[in-house]
Amino acid sequence: MFGTLLRFRLRRDRTQLTVWAVVHFLVAYMVVAAVNTTYGTPAERAATVKVLMVTPAILLFRGTPQGTSAGDFMALLGLTFMAVLVAFQSTFLVVRHTRAEEATGQTETVAATAAGRWAPSFAVIALGVIANVIAMIAVAIGCLAGGLPAGGSWLFGAGLGMVGLTFVGVAFLLAQLFPASRSANGWSATLVLVAYVVRGLGDATGTPHLDTLTLTPTAWIWASPIGWAQRTLPWSGYSRGWPLLLGVASFLILTAVALLIQDRRDVGAGILAERRGRPTASAALAGAVGLALRLQRGVLTGWVLAVVAGALLLGSLAGVMVDQLQTAGSGVTNALEEIGGGGSMLQAFANIGAIFSGLLASAICVQGAMRLRQEEAAGGLDAVLSTATARTRWMLSFVVVAAVGAVVSLVLGGVVAGAVAGSAGGGFATWFWAIVWETPAVLVFLGVVALVFAVLPQATVGVGWAVFGLGAILGLFGPLFGLPQWARDLAPFAHTPAVALPHPNFTGGWVMAVIAVALIGASVYLFRLRDTRPGA
Amino acid sequence: MTDNSAPVIETRGLVKHFGSVHALDGLDLTVHPGEVHGYLGPNGAGKSTTIRVLLGLARASGGEARVFGRDPWREASVLHRRISTIPGDVALWPNLSGGETIDLLVRLRGGDTTSVAYTTARADLIDEFQFDPSKKARSYSKGNRQKVALIAAFAHPAELYIFDEPTSGLDPLMESVFTRQVGRAAEAGGTVLLSSHILSEVEKLCTRISIVRAGCVVESGTLTELRHLTRTSFSFERDGLTDARLRALPGVHDLAEASGRVSFTVDSDQVAGILPELGALGVQGLQVAPPSLEELFLRHYGDVVAPVEA
Repeated sequence: MFGTLLRFRLRRDRTQLTVWAVVHFLVAYMVVAAVNTTYGTPAERAATVKVLMVTPAILLFRGTPQGTSAGDFMALLGLTFMAVLVAFQSTFLVVRHTRAEEATGQTETVAATAAGRWAPSFAVIALGVIANVIAMIAVAIGCLAGGLPAGGSWLFGAGLGMVGLTFVGVAFLLAQLFPASRSANGWSATLVLVAYVVRGLGDATGTPHLDTLTLTPTAWIWASPIGWAQRTLPWSGYSRGWPLLLGVASFLILTAVALLIQDRRDVGAGILAERRGRPTASAALAGAVGLALRLQRGVLTGWVLAVVAGALLLGSLAGVMVDQLQTAGSGVTNALEEIGGGGSMLQAFANIGAIFSGLLASAICVQGAMRLRQEEAAGGLDAVLSTATARTRWMLSFVVVAAVGAVVSLVLGGVVAGAVAGSAGGGFATWFWAIVWETPAVLVFLGVVALVFAVLPQATVGVGWAVFGLGAILGLFGPLFGLPQWARDLAPFAHTPAVALPHPNFTGGWVMAVIAVALIGASVYLFRLRDTRPGA
Repeated sequence: MTDNSAPVIETRGLVKHFGSVHALDGLDLTVHPGEVHGYLGPNGAGKSTTIRVLLGLARASGGEARVFGRDPWREASVLHRRISTIPGDVALWPNLSGGETIDLLVRLRGGDTTSVAYTTARADLIDEFQFDPSKKARSYSKGNRQKVALIAAFAHPAELYIFDEPTSGLDPLMESVFTRQVGRAAEAGGTVLLSSHILSEVEKLCTRISIVRAGCVVESGTLTELRHLTRTSFSFERDGLTDARLRALPGVHDLAEASGRVSFTVDSDQVAGILPELGALGVQGLQVAPPSLEELFLRHYGDVVAPVEA
């Protein structure tokens, strides 16, 4: 029974598992290749580490300096980002096979057969384990292919697999708690980002040892599964495997708790009780805009808060940097300005911070556009179009709500980051405008996904995440990976006027604004020409 | 606004392809004002596709469709102010309550949810359908989801009601509430297109019927007209009658005998001719049954029942 269910799930996921394996392999291989080309000699790496370890704002997004070998650089620059990818793969996988199926009734169909209630859950957990073993192997092979030593490569892969495994447990537990798969997915994703930021705090507040070019992170790092993977210190002289046990233990505990909850609740129900709703609609729930706002308000609030929280963090780190620059010796300051892309390190940081904010805001747009397809698939679109609501109005309502949400988040983020950084001497205007000028790039994401919805509706969700992932890799990590310029130029963020740096070029911003509007216009026009296609 | 005699719905040679599948293959359907028109057919015959075209959700691949004389694809949102509809598969927004959904749908149709007429109608319907409007849609059963659509459809009057298997999931008690509501809508001058495969419901409600098969309307007319096309069945006790005398009866088909009773069918327009003959035989326990809608229906999908031809 268990075997049948597991084979069935593996078969359903074979494409996704293959794509993820290829992604893990390629990312690992590319980061190693980038390290080898950009920081080819130990001397170059030593110079870079010296700078990075006194730049908490960079460590927040990267990792722990642990030495100067190529492997040490891989761990410093690639581990945390790749851990986020592996974690996302796991949470989406688990929710897709548990709560999402429960919400659509498939679970009930299976539970009514001889399979019962336990075998399907064990099959999902086994699938999660298999997926992470595959991820571990793909990553390790990617590192080996890049020419890194074998022991560290396997430890690195195992660390990422362990992070994934932990999040299998996290998502499985959350899937028990929330009655809607969207909530389970949203909270899982939030926890992945929290894990990323928490370990970042550990690195950013750590103690640098300039003689050994290593850094001892603070206790924060132990509060995050990604931190556990970091603390295996792969490729360093101090590598050890025991932190992996923390992840395995968490996975077992989380899964056991989830199974206990599952044993006590009805199929289809959550643990968090369903609240009663209003017996009549409020005046706000009228028209397509009212509906779009109502359906998106939870997600929008979450993302806006995420952008603002991110801005708060960035702003305060800018303040920390100002302090450090004042106390650091002139040698360090010079080195900082050198890698600052012509401007000061502080300006470079504002630039990266703006891209980071833009990336969060573009998630609002990507999710907003994907919502179009989700509404269509679930039948909500047909229900609305059967009333006196025109297609253009329906589509624009969802698009405008997402666009306004993104712009509001950027403005609020700009104000917060500017105010916090500004009070520490980092400059309000620099931060504010750097973040607000991400708007055109962010809207391009909305246009692209909306266009996919209009032309190839069934592909919307898949392409949406792919576009977002690509934007993240190219925008935030493109320079790091040493990608060629044409590849970096694919990301809308590459054309954002770098307000924080000297001599910003505003043409790119205006061009992107025009492109975004054109894409949205074209998608509305094309949507009007096709049949609606409810159902998955 | 519209000419009284002009059809409310008219399709001519309507074609809809999905790739190589012909969901509609030259469909002719006419629904006149004030009719309660039954739209019958088995699963996959093209009923829902017809309705999707009539609502402008799908675009016809060929032929012509008119609703109130207008193009349902180009003028969808204008037409929908006059139309009330229940989809075959009622989809609700999981985190909206039933009451919120009802109000929202009526507002989207252009209805004023603060009017006394609406609030009264809504309250009456909620009462009649024994519906709890403050639960989240996620937790409604299939029947309760159906009620949301039904209440929203009837609470704000329309000129045309398009129902796609509206009672699937309702218990018999609620079905009778539905029947009553359709009656009221028709009395108020509304036209109804009722797609269904529940024959008793159609037989009870509909003034005209169209039967669709493989994307074509194969029969259309009043129930009486359709009955004329079929045969009436007779049965009586054998009571010692010889085979020879029974075979002498004119126009008889499907002659058979079971548990002492003789049964046969007669073309419905030949019934008057055979009655004197039966009188002459002095038959006992005579039963005459007009064809049920079920028989009409099966005749068009009749591969499973005895062929009608002699």
